[in-house]
Amino acid sequence: MEFEFLLNEVLQKISLEKKEGFYIFSDGEKTYEADIQQISPHQISVLIDDVSFRIYTARDKDCRYFLIDGQQFVIKEPTEQVEGFREGEEKTSEGTLLVKAPMPGKVIKICVSVKDEVRKNQTLAIVEAMKMENEIKASVDSMIKEIHVKAGDLVDSETPLIELEPL
Amino acid sequence: MFKKILVANRGEIAVRIIKACQEMGICTVAVFSDVDRLSLHVQIADEAIGIGPPPAVESYLNMDRIIQTARKTGADAIHPGYGFLAENAAFARRCEKEKIVFIGPNSDALELVGDKVRSRQTLEKADIPIIPGMKGIVKDTSAIRAEAQKIGYPVMIKASAGGGGKGMRVVFDEKELTPALEAGMREAKSAFGDESVYLEKYIQEPRHVEFQVLADNHGNVIHLFERECSIQRRHQKIVEETPSQALDSGLRTRMGETARKVMQVSGYNNAGTVEFLLDKDKNFYFLEVNARLQVEHPVTELTTGIDLVHQQIKIAAGEMLSFGQEDMEQKGHAIECRIYAEDPHNNFLPSSGKILYFKEPHGPGVRHDCGIYSGWDVPIFYDPILAKLIVWAENREVACERMIKALDDYVILGVQTSIRFLRDLIGHPQFHKGNTTTSFIPDHFADWTGEKDSEEKRRLALLVAAFDSLTGPTSGKGLKTAKKEIYSPWLSLGKWRLGGK
Repeated sequence: MEFEFLLNEVLQKISLEKKEGFYIFSDGEKTYEADIQQISPHQISVLIDDVSFRIYTARDKDCRYFLIDGQQFVIKEPTEQVEGFREGEEKTSEGTLLVKAPMPGKVIKICVSVKDEVRKNQTLAIVEAMKMENEIKASVDSMIKEIHVKAGDLVDSETPLIELEPL
Repeated sequence: MFKKILVANRGEIAVRIIKACQEMGICTVAVFSDVDRLSLHVQIADEAIGIGPPPAVESYLNMDRIIQTARKTGADAIHPGYGFLAENAAFARRCEKEKIVFIGPNSDALELVGDKVRSRQTLEKADIPIIPGMKGIVKDTSAIRAEAQKIGYPVMIKASAGGGGKGMRVVFDEKELTPALEAGMREAKSAFGDESVYLEKYIQEPRHVEFQVLADNHGNVIHLFERECSIQRRHQKIVEETPSQALDSGLRTRMGETARKVMQVSGYNNAGTVEFLLDKDKNFYFLEVNARLQVEHPVTELTTGIDLVHQQIKIAAGEMLSFGQEDMEQKGHAIECRIYAEDPHNNFLPSSGKILYFKEPHGPGVRHDCGIYSGWDVPIFYDPILAKLIVWAENREVACERMIKALDDYVILGVQTSIRFLRDLIGHPQFHKGNTTTSFIPDHFADWTGEKDSEEKRRLALLVAAFDSLTGPTSGKGLKTAKKEIYSPWLSLGKWRLGGK
């Protein structure tokens, strides 16, 4: 069967077939014959060419997390991708850019005003989370169209902060 | 002995202290902010009282509220842990006034060691080595030249108004002084509008070495040897160990005696730590006193066999130390790694969210001081430390191997953590050789990316994701045949996120 997943926001196409107790995996480049056993809801054992892998797994909504040899992979269902924009930004239907909070936190300072022209990498706002200040920067030269939050506001990740009109 | 202790803290350290109290047969009161209602320390304490909204100033730093809670619950002592109110002299004084024992130093000593200028003066009089430097600001270059001669090269030029490296210059001999001075003054002028600079001895390849001290209320002061905490990122310690590879027994004795003297001169009691900088020629200089139990205290406990929290409580209750300096012995080697909720692949930004799955490492010589559990939400309001992993072994080599194995066995899914970074750090050949200085991370890990994209592991992740889709509770997810749904008209609206609002 064919599958499509997003791994690190990159679309991956693979196939997995069950055959006589084994699974045949292929990503177009490599093919593995694997014995896969679910040990518990959070643990999977995989044997490939007599090499054993212990994989931990957890799920949150439509995100699946896998820990393989100390490295965490986050796999999501595929979505349509808009290229050229940074994580945490969204292109609106009018062609402006909506800059969003990268994580839940508190707005410490808004460094710009409406109608300001900003350069790429200029700091737009400072958001504090876990006692650390994080600068939110402009990804392109642009004009500030709208500011949706003020200093002191608590924001969730994905909360729109500032709307930019690219120059 | 106390009947009931209020623990004015949260997270792993609150858990650590509550357990110590329970071992001693003392009842415990946990306090919590609204967002910590389900935190581990709340669940394990005998009583737990809400003290206000999530921001620390309105809860964990709210002295009135904490004193009131101690009164209401009949607690006869307060343990402040580290951070929050731990080194707050006003709070210690307030406790003294309210006749509640503050488990920490007396308020006068706390005030003295917290005042950089006054403590420096006091300690200089007692011949404690302090980083040599100019006391005043001079604008005249010939006076600066004379001063440089006196301090001894290399010297560091620092801007009086400054910080952030602006106006800083290192000068290795007299020939370089004049041009460096001019450049430093120019830079200071343009950065701060003030050209005044001063000189300080430049410490080459510094190591951060600190000594644990215990002082009872009867004048007995002993040290429990050193901890080396040179491995720091943005001035934050992340790995600590004892013994230090840089000390031999003669230097250890001299530094330990100096640490005792610092505490005696300061009129200090209870547990505290004296921090030193050690240069490559083994000169050591006093930095500051940490007037509290420290995050890295477990490495001392594992190598000396002494429980520092038990000792803190006994000292605060007026007991005499039951051992002397000559009874102290360092055995084996201990290393601690701080486990933070932060994303090493994304500039170490704090990572909050739900811990979906958590499995701690076990085994001989492995200790895990922990404030988390599976299903717990990591809040955004506090320091992102989740837990501390500490190992002990008969020597450093085995301790390193044991730490690597324990980090490999450590599972946290849901939030990003520093575990993988720490594993690479402990496995680094220079760490192995004990070449640890405060610039270790900028020197060796400035461009660290980890094995971000090992092809084999990526394939494995996709393989198990597909397996999960075939067999798991949400089978069918990610199946290409189910893509009709995914290409719904909704998606043409723009970037679309799963689970978004």
